[in-house]
Amino acid sequence: MAFRALYDAAAPKLFGFALRILRKRELAEEALQEGFVSIWHAAPHYEAGLAAPLTWMAAIVRNKALDILRRTDDTVELDHDAFRDEYASTPAEASEMSSDARALAACLARLEGLHRMAIGLAFFHDLSHTEVAQRMSLPVGTVKTWIRRGMERLKSCLSHAEAP
Amino acid sequence: MNIRGNEALRDKLAAEYVLGTLRGGARRRFEGWMYSDAALRMLVKDWERRLLPMHEFVRAQEPSAQLWRNIEMRLHLKPERSSWHFWRGFGLGTASAAAAAALVLAISMQQLRGPSYDLVATLTDQQAQPALLVKADTRKRLLQVHIVGGAPVPVDRSLQLWAIPKKGAPRSLGVLGAEGRGTFALASSAVGDDVVVLAISLEPRGGSPDPDGPTGPVLYKGPWVRAM
Repeated sequence: MAFRALYDAAAPKLFGFALRILRKRELAEEALQEGFVSIWHAAPHYEAGLAAPLTWMAAIVRNKALDILRRTDDTVELDHDAFRDEYASTPAEASEMSSDARALAACLARLEGLHRMAIGLAFFHDLSHTEVAQRMSLPVGTVKTWIRRGMERLKSCLSHAEAP
Repeated sequence: MNIRGNEALRDKLAAEYVLGTLRGGARRRFEGWMYSDAALRMLVKDWERRLLPMHEFVRAQEPSAQLWRNIEMRLHLKPERSSWHFWRGFGLGTASAAAAAALVLAISMQQLRGPSYDLVATLTDQQAQPALLVKADTRKRLLQVHIVGGAPVPVDRSLQLWAIPKKGAPRSLGVLGAEGRGTFALASSAVGDDVVVLAISLEPRGGSPDPDGPTGPVLYKGPWVRAM
């Protein structure tokens, strides 16, 4: 049936994503389960013009994962060196990514490594400006500025990428 | 605080909301504004569209097989022994199942593995019923045709696919096989900006004897649109 096909097509990517946020398989599976239940109910309201389907589903799964993260809070171990590897470099498997993700990767690559890392930390781990600053041992004002400028640059870079 | 009219601030807050750095009272206030402000919700959607593809940077991983069974159970997707449950589940889920099918199609056309099709056309008959789906990956120069409906083709005839430019003669893109589907090399003449319509004509077996256009009736046609 169709929903099974949708699950098969999207679950591995979304599970990898939830696992990155939550770091524990059982929590990531909970997020994925809650996410797919919501996707089932929300599917009739999906508007193709607003987001690619996988992006739409990822937003739902991320919200579930962040709910779980907030509930369990500080049980997630953060490893500083792993972060550097994860966010300082851009993803390798570009051939498997959608055009949206490729465009975003290209625009992120044009930011400075530390700015990219601050954005990645906030996005994947639901960290506040203060928490990002602590992890990176930087003043919070610096982090705020980097993230604000980084977002402005991303927006402008992506709008150029979207133009035909 | 009133943020209406301050576009720069609205956009900054929407970005922080999606990124997750907007916290505590500020986040709750923002959610309150979103509730009554459709334009603000659109800004949030725009930022989701920009940032959420980051999830694809993460390596895909297989969840356990039990997970699907849990979802199936939660949603009553599996017909249960009692027919009452079966019919109830079926009736409730029809809209979601149809939407899921549309999402699967959209995903397979747009992303995940393999070619990424950036040009698509749904060719319809005179009653506007979809008959064929044509998609092209312009980077890999690949053109794929799938039959989704339409009338059977007599054995002594073939269906031929044409690019119809705004001006000048139609250009042949290929002759479909007997089973009506096929993968072709994408000719550069098919993807020019001047090509806005694709059409299928019914031709003698093997294709039109005239290189400059169809000799038989045009059965299906549809606009050639850029998907991404």
